[in-house]
Amino acid sequence: MELLVCIKQVPDDTVNVTMGADGAPKLDDIAPVVNAFDTYALEMAARFKEANGGSVTVLTIGGEGAVPALRSCLSVGADRACRVEEASVCDPQGTAYLLSQASKKAGEQPFDVIFCGSESTDAASGQVGAQLAETLGLPVITNVLALEPKDGGISAKQETEDGYRVVEAACPCVVTIVKPDYEPRYPSIKSKMAARKMPVAVLTAADAQADASKFGPEAAKVQRAAISAPPQRQSGVKIQEKEAAEAVRRAMEIMVGQKLI
Amino acid sequence: MENQGILVYLESTDGQILKVSLEAMNAARKLAQLSGKKVGAVLIGDASAAAAAASYGADEVLTVAAHGYQPDRYTDILTALCERYDVSCLLLGSTRDGKELAARVAARTGSGCISDAMSMTESGAWVRSVYGGSLQETVSAKGKAVVTVRSGTFGKPELDEGRTAPVTAETVDATPLRSVIKDAVQELSESVNLEDAEIIVAGGRGMGSAENFQLVHELATLLGGVVGASRPAIEDGWVLRNHQVGQSGKIVAPKLYIACGISGAMQHVSGMSGSGFIVAINKDEDAPIFEVADVGIVGNVTEILPLLIEEVKARKN
Ligand SMILES: Cc1cc2nc3c(=O)[nH]c(=O)nc-3n(C[C@H](O)[C@H](O)[C@H](O)COP(=O)(O)OP(=O)(O)OC[C@H]3O[C@@H](n4cnc5c(N)ncnc54)[C@H](O)[C@@H]3O)c2cc1C
Ligand SMILES: Nc1ncnc2c1ncn2[C@@H]1O[C@H](COP(=O)(O)O)[C@@H](O)[C@H]1O
Repeated sequence: MELLVCIKQVPDDTVNVTMGADGAPKLDDIAPVVNAFDTYALEMAARFKEANGGSVTVLTIGGEGAVPALRSCLSVGADRACRVEEASVCDPQGTAYLLSQASKKAGEQPFDVIFCGSESTDAASGQVGAQLAETLGLPVITNVLALEPKDGGISAKQETEDGYRVVEAACPCVVTIVKPDYEPRYPSIKSKMAARKMPVAVLTAADAQADASKFGPEAAKVQRAAISAPPQRQSGVKIQEKEAAEAVRRAMEIMVGQKLI
Repeated sequence: MENQGILVYLESTDGQILKVSLEAMNAARKLAQLSGKKVGAVLIGDASAAAAAASYGADEVLTVAAHGYQPDRYTDILTALCERYDVSCLLLGSTRDGKELAARVAARTGSGCISDAMSMTESGAWVRSVYGGSLQETVSAKGKAVVTVRSGTFGKPELDEGRTAPVTAETVDATPLRSVIKDAVQELSESVNLEDAEIIVAGGRGMGSAENFQLVHELATLLGGVVGASRPAIEDGWVLRNHQVGQSGKIVAPKLYIACGISGAMQHVSGMSGSGFIVAINKDEDAPIFEVADVGIVGNVTEILPLLIEEVKARKN
């Protein structure tokens, strides 16, 4: 099967983002990485391909700066990479629309399964996958933990609030991926070298026949009025005693004093 | 239902409205106060919670028949109702299903979709967290809106037993399903009410083992509290995933939160920094959790917790 994985480059999610003096998040010093959920999606797609044949293409909307993200995907299971050169997309629906158009041009053959992460770790909207499916008029299965081919379509294990479901859909379809019970593979020196030499296709919005009135700032259906740091807590006392019993006694005294216990 | 009103989708199991759906109802009531609009509630499939919906604040209840949960069918239904009544704002609880439905209905109706709202400003804009909880943004939809509400943020609306509302059965034509739920397996039977807990004792990777994690359970039980956990403790199988606190778990605000062997990553802290009083136990004196703790104990959890348990026991007697 032909598989497409939509990936987004995001700031390293282990770093605390602070506000800059200009009133925008300070991101310059934070290393860009592939969105964690997209790395799970790629690993699942790569395993699916290894078991069932086919190929894996990764697609992103982003500038030159997103090329390293695509290369890192090429070193861990992707066969082809494609970048949509477009900086003006501002909301999930615009992103979904542009991805839907680009997905028709990014492969040599039409894709059978399109993978998205369940959520990006920066914007955290968790909307793009489902909206991509709606835009393309395709079936969607969200929050997928595992995937296998079935009767020409797919059967997926979907994470729920209290367990899981078995969900089936015909191909082509869209799936959004949560953390499965395995980790993404690491690249080898050899696979990294090979990825460096692989081509990265570039599409413009015009190449993708995307209508700018459907994804640009004008089209954004959600507007940000402000961004700020959440209220900070003050730290209180730190108890550092040689004797654990003394530390516990002091902590208890405070908790009881505050009528918490 | 009046046109251009507010509509809340109430998810229910066995006739019980989910708590997070009631929080969405509370958000809807706040929005109604601001805008002077009426609040409709929709129940799909099981209509037995109609009376409860009214007593929690619905001005009208819509019911639609459905045979079991199928996302395609539910998307059709919510889309049809939004169009039929030209709904200005559809609200849902941020469950996994709620978030999928919200994104899909917004795509179909051309509405702006806002995920995981945590509060509403005086002008009716929504506040949500970004960058793993290290920042928060205020957003609003340009036209119509579909909003999901995070659990543990808006609280339940007041219950007024005497309140009633008209109930209207709506019909929405069925279309063929494109994806089909074949089977559902329940793995977590016991429900965990972290949102309403007054005391939470939470354990992280620093607890070291499933066996040590029992200390967290023991202290929680002793204090009449609920067990919380960081993500690694869940991934390691020490505790079930409905105990998770944080960015992809629950937002909690107990009077007392005791964090044991938790480093204080922002994805965890953003879920518990609204607690009244935070106690942290960590062997690393530079652990970021100490920056938000009212009382920080530098020490080993396997030493501190048994002593703490003894002290609490001694006080009780
Ligand atoms: C998209 C996304 C969503 C996430 N959502 C969540 C979420 O909802 N909730 C969540 O919790 N995390 C979440 N995370 C993970 C989060 O980033 C952290 O990795 C996680 O919170 C760390 O858990 P921890 O503090 O238990 O483990 P660690 O960071 O490994 O910390 C363990 C701590 O225990 C201390 N310790 C070790 N041994 C002892 C001992 N014997 N006695 C005392 N102290 C000891 C150590 O000093 C250390 O500080 C998310 C991450 C991502 C990317
Ligand atoms: N700029 C982008 N380029 C490619 N894929 C994206 C982009 N933004 C979001 N996605 C995909 O949509 C998923 C969900 O993103 P979000 O709705 O922003 O939380 C991500 O995990 C990606 O798979």
